[in-house]
Order: sequence, then structure tokens, then C-alpha cells
Amino acid sequence: MKIFTKEELARYNGKNGAPAYVAYKGKVYDVSSSFHWSGGKHQVLHNAGEDLTDGFEKAPHGAELLEKFPMVGRLEDRS
Amino acid sequence: MAKVAQEMVKRSGVDLDQLVELLVKNAAAELTTYYYYTILRANLIGLEGEGIKEIAEAARIEDRNHFEALVPRIYELGGKLPENMKDFHDCSACPPASLPKDPTDVKAILKVLVEAERCAVRGYTNICNMTAGKDHRTYDLALSILNEEIEHESWFSEFLGEGPSGHFMRRGENSPFVSKFLK
Repeated sequence: MKIFTKEELARYNGKNGAPAYVAYKGKVYDVSSSFHWSGGKHQVLHNAGEDLTDGFEKAPHGAELLEKFPMVGRLEDRS
Repeated sequence: MAKVAQEMVKRSGVDLDQLVELLVKNAAAELTTYYYYTILRANLIGLEGEGIKEIAEAARIEDRNHFEALVPRIYELGGKLPENMKDFHDCSACPPASLPKDPTDVKAILKVLVEAERCAVRGYTNICNMTAGKDHRTYDLALSILNEEIEHESWFSEFLGEGPSGHFMRRGENSPFVSKFLK
């Protein structure tokens, strides 16, 4: 399984033809096929290519909506 | 232009540009849903479909009302609607509520309807969370719309056999929560 650094993840921002990847609790998901991530943005507030773990508590939905998408790797743990 | 109203929103800590963009995207979702629900309603026929037609129509009309109620707030906050209708359609906050491949499959139509309402419930919850205690007018509007979207979701969910909605349908009057913004 591929390990992404934050810098690598940032390249998958859904813009200019790049796939849209997001990280959540150490897992990286490919959300490119999601209508809700068109253009690499979600609900105006969130960007693809980022770790969403911290902001997820405020989301009006659970993680199950994210976990429907293919997991493509893990985010490097620098802690 | 409501300059002081905009200033109050900015000073409350709400990102005005983000809020306006969200309102435009949700207004697009409402108008496109009104359009797609027209097609869904037309295909709700036969013994199964006719029983659902009435609530599909109530949800359709109320979604159009939501669009009408959102537009003034967008302009008050310094935003505007896209000049091109296609651009407006494509910026929608929710996916198109398209007719299922088999238009005679009433359960499939119900699933499209309930998913559209669930997208709306999430969207307005998000706007309420963003504006609560800060932008009182947008919060009031978003909460009023949210109340109606939750009822729509529960109607369709009930018909899908997910459990009782807990309330009656409309009795001749639409938009009990949002109508105050339409007068």
C-alpha cells in the first residue's frame, strides 16, 4: 500500500485533471468519482489533497460516506 | 446593497465569500431539483406511483420556493446568480435527481427522491452550523428550509419502508416554514 507524505497528497487536489484524494484518520481515499468533490472542492469549504481528519467532526455526515470510496494508500505519520 | 448587513456578517467571523458561494450552490440545487422532480412526478404513475405523486409534487413546489427565498439573501450579501443557466445548473450543491433507467420502477424513483432530500438536509445543516449565533438572517432562512427538507426526507423514507415519518403531509398549503420569506 502506498504511503503518502502530506506534500505528495497535496498534488492530488482534483484540479487541472489531477485525481482528487483526501486523507482521513491515516487512510487516503480517491474521491475523484464523487459529484460532491467536483473540481477538487467539497461544499466550498474543503479541498482535495488535504487531511480532513480534524475538520470531520463538524461535517453533517459520518465517515461512512467517505469509506465508500476506494482507499489508495496511507498518510505518513510524522507524529 | 445591504452594506451594514454584510459588515455584520463579516464581523461575526463568517467568511462572506464562502457563505455566498454556498447559498448560490444550494439555490442551484433547489431550482434543478424542481426541474428534475417535474420529470419524476410525471413518471409516478400506476397503482404504486399515484400514491406518491402528491408528496413528490409538494416537495417539488417547496424546493422551488426555497430557490425563491434564497435569491434575495444572495443579493443582500453582495452575491449574484450566474448569468448562464447552464453554469448555474453545473454549480449545484447536489447531484441531478435524474430519472432511473427503468422509469416504471417506483422504488428506484423513491430512492432518487430521498437521496436528493438527504443531500439538502446535509447542505442546510452545514449552513446552519456556519451561521448559528453569527448571521441571524441567513440562519433563520437556512433553518426554515432545513425544516421542510427534513419533512421531505421523512415522507419519502416512509414510503421506502424505513419507518414512520411521524407527521402528516401538507394539507393544501405549501412551505409552512419558508412562506414567511416569500411574502
